[in-house]
Amino acid sequence: MTRARYRGGNYRRRSAGSRIVLYVTVAAVALWLVAPFGWLFVTSVSYQRNLLARPFRLVPPEVTFDNYRMILGLVRFHAEGQAGKILASMGNSLVVALAVTGVNLVAGTTAGYAYARFAFPLKTFSLFALLFTRMLPTIVLIPAFFIVFRALGLQNTLTGLVVAYCSFTLPFTVWIMKAYFETIPADLDKSALVDGCNRFQAYCRVILPVSGPGLVAGGAFTFMLCWNEFVVAQILNTRPGTTTLPPVIAGMNGQINIDYSVIAASGFLGALPAVLLVLVFQKYMVQGLTAGSVKG
Amino acid sequence: MKLSESALAWLFVGPALLVIGVVVVFPLVYSLWLSFTDVNLLRATGPALELWGMRVPLFHWIGARNYTQVLADPLYWDSLWRTLYFVAAFVAEAALVGFGMALVLNERFPGRPLLRSLLLVPWSLSRIVVGLLWIGILDFEFGALNGLLLRAGLVDGAIAFFKEGWSALNVLVSVYMWNQAPFATLLFLAGMQSISEDLYAAAEVDGAGYWRRLWFVTLPALRPIVFLVLVLATVNGFLMLDLIYVLTMGGPGYDTTTVSWHGFKTSFTFFKFGPGTAILYTLTALCLLLTVVYQRLILARFEPEA
Repeated sequence: MTRARYRGGNYRRRSAGSRIVLYVTVAAVALWLVAPFGWLFVTSVSYQRNLLARPFRLVPPEVTFDNYRMILGLVRFHAEGQAGKILASMGNSLVVALAVTGVNLVAGTTAGYAYARFAFPLKTFSLFALLFTRMLPTIVLIPAFFIVFRALGLQNTLTGLVVAYCSFTLPFTVWIMKAYFETIPADLDKSALVDGCNRFQAYCRVILPVSGPGLVAGGAFTFMLCWNEFVVAQILNTRPGTTTLPPVIAGMNGQINIDYSVIAASGFLGALPAVLLVLVFQKYMVQGLTAGSVKG
Repeated sequence: MKLSESALAWLFVGPALLVIGVVVVFPLVYSLWLSFTDVNLLRATGPALELWGMRVPLFHWIGARNYTQVLADPLYWDSLWRTLYFVAAFVAEAALVGFGMALVLNERFPGRPLLRSLLLVPWSLSRIVVGLLWIGILDFEFGALNGLLLRAGLVDGAIAFFKEGWSALNVLVSVYMWNQAPFATLLFLAGMQSISEDLYAAAEVDGAGYWRRLWFVTLPALRPIVFLVLVLATVNGFLMLDLIYVLTMGGPGYDTTTVSWHGFKTSFTFFKFGPGTAILYTLTALCLLLTVVYQRLILARFEPEA
């Protein structure tokens, strides 16, 4: 009843003036958030000559899917060698992101459960170490990966990337899952133990089945981080065909012979999976991330 | 068979800690070692560590020479001051815009759930795409912003945002803010929703208007969140690399070269791993410091409620 009124007020009861101010700021925020990404789409369905034309037009005079046809290899054009890597590198991104997400969900979830439920020696210390690894500059680890991977033959392999990506995702996942398990009443475990389960059965059969939202939050966040990662893939996987999507797009961006509209198409196509994933699972991700950030 | 609770706990955390040991702790220590050696990637001989049939070259210990060499280079100090400016500007912008958006999203208006979803769009993009789409807006020749300004007659000629160092650095700050402020908004919103409505009711009974309620009720209650946002933004500011790669490559000249970019270039463009890891380790030390701040001042405060 009073809920709506006091938390920011009820919009029907605002004065006309404050309603206008609110709507103008809402419109401004909406524009700020989506217009740049929307413009990326507009440029991706435009011809470069129309983007260069002055006076400038917000609505493109011609709409074309040629840029997408080029990067998907459906039409021939002068830079098809570079653009042709888009689909293959998306496949690489997908394999790496899924593998890392799998490792994170198995190892990170079990560890998160232990941190939420057990008291054990070195718990505080190892938690602090985890927090530090979460705040660590990943780039400082890469010279070591570079030399060791060379010795192991893991350079230019997807396995190498999976290994390297666990370094910045796993600490996050443990933290998110720990915060999630803390929201599940410990009585649930206790009643499972009373019913004759051992700890591991209680975890697998009772707690995990009700942990869907937490698993979705941790998994989607890990997937997003891997899908979007650039620096590590750029350094470790330099041989053509072995790298993920962001380095390929960044590489096209440096080429003078490729139109911006073509690069925009690859950028938009490459961004879609992560954006859609986040929009679909936003509720769980927001809960998981905010809880994971504020709880010790 | 009955295990003690702590043995069981170690069984649960074991796999994760093992992976972290291999992919974080080992490279971290090895990189630290490298920063004290004369790394030469072309030389295969020399001292090495034999680990399970793998040969990890150790190179030659040269003491702190990499560090003294790096710290004697004026470029390091220039990048450090630039980084401090970058971080300060980024933290201020991200916190202010993030807070402003949270205030708007905390109001009630039709379409609020939709706007809350859209909030996540800039944040879920790869920074490569973020840089790319801002090129489409800011470019000298085909940028939409230049096009709009020209058509409205607000400028005589297109603005070259990346031509001059100071402007390029500030554009980097704002583009990074566009990408990161939504996360600050999420944290602020979560904080705002946990403030008791009785406080607002009481303040309104006392005749406090919107701004006074904001100042005397909302802000004090959000203090820990503000602090959290500042610490996380500081770390992210120090570590930013990918946007520099797409937008400026550290230039013009060295005008957008930050410490992380300087370390990245030294390590992976010039392949001087010794000095490169030394530069990156100065950043790591800073992050360790910030972790201590995070743990002592933020997580400790939330503990009693959690």
